[in-house]
Amino acid sequence: METDTATIRVARYRPEKSEKPYFQEYKVPYRKDTVVLDALNQVKAEQDGTLAYRWSCRMGVCGSCGANVNGVPKLTCATFLHEFKGKSLTIEPLANFPVIKDLVVNIDDFMEKLLKVKPWIIRDKQSPPEEGEYKQSGKELDRYAQFSSCINCLLCYAACPIYGLNEDFLGPAATALAYRYIADSRDQGKKARFPIVHDLEGVWECTLIGECSVVCPKGVDPMLAIQKTKILGAMEAPKTMLSPETLKAILPRGGE
Amino acid sequence: MSTKKTHYPEIPRKNLGPGWWLANRHYTVYMIRELTSFFVTAFSLIYIYQVYRLASNPGTYSQYLDTVRSPAMISFSIVALGFTLFHSVTWFYLIGKIQPIKIGRKKTSPLLALGINTVFLVIISFAVLQLFIVGK
Ligand code: FES
Repeated sequence: METDTATIRVARYRPEKSEKPYFQEYKVPYRKDTVVLDALNQVKAEQDGTLAYRWSCRMGVCGSCGANVNGVPKLTCATFLHEFKGKSLTIEPLANFPVIKDLVVNIDDFMEKLLKVKPWIIRDKQSPPEEGEYKQSGKELDRYAQFSSCINCLLCYAACPIYGLNEDFLGPAATALAYRYIADSRDQGKKARFPIVHDLEGVWECTLIGECSVVCPKGVDPMLAIQKTKILGAMEAPKTMLSPETLKAILPRGGE
Repeated sequence: MSTKKTHYPEIPRKNLGPGWWLANRHYTVYMIRELTSFFVTAFSLIYIYQVYRLASNPGTYSQYLDTVRSPAMISFSIVALGFTLFHSVTWFYLIGKIQPIKIGRKKTSPLLALGINTVFLVIISFAVLQLFIVGK
């Protein structure tokens, strides 16, 4: 296979050496099947061992290799170098996150949000194993299947201007996962998740920009999950508004 | 032996600046879509006000005609029409994205929603026009 050379511009941040981030250029050989992650690996192995970035599976499954490639959030293991032939190629850490080192970002904020939406099946009462599994039809599976493909790569957070403007926004992936469970016929955790997804910083912050769904490498449509969650919430609203708890909270209470 | 860990500062998260919507084409189209609401609202308010004035004082009809025929009002209407069409088209498309209909195993494309809604828009606009012409 024919080999070419590309120049990649990589954002560097090495707090132990300098407080200021800077860009560094490397020349890397590439073939038709070389991805950006291969280029980074080549640099680390052959040219500059100090370069830091995350990766694991090299096949679009683990979600750890995200970076902004020419300003667009991408999995570096699924982005081919030849696509940028004749163009400059700049690799930066995912936008909207603090940077720990070079391309490594701090994702604590997302990890907290992920836990908050309780991404597991909640049952009012667990039935004993002897009673067998909770059955589900193909149709019921269809309702949430795509949302279960999320690999938490956080490209959607890097692409979302709402999250870029407001760090407290629950954001695309966490909501997609919340909806994945809300829409699961075996789940009974709506009550526990609704206050979180319908919080002031929840789904209602989303103004349908839709870039999360554009950049998702797994074909998940977080924007759709957010809108579906809005619809479910709106349908529940009259019920919650007239619930004894709400009425008790808002009605004047005699001599109290 | 003790090992001391040094913690280095992180680059704090950068909040987006006011020009964020120029960073990519999708963001810009989104911003234009949001901006069009201003023209839709402004046109509706002006129109409602004019109808209200006409209803409360039918004698002002010739005055009303003068206003709508003024170059300023015509230019505003043309701009408002352009933006309103853009507004409708983008929202029709979004309806299809948010509520795709399943036919068999396949989901309908948002373009279908755009098409159907546009046809309805044309039919309804035509019907309204007919009503005015017949009413005259
Ligand atoms: S290395 Fe696992 S998704 Fe890219």
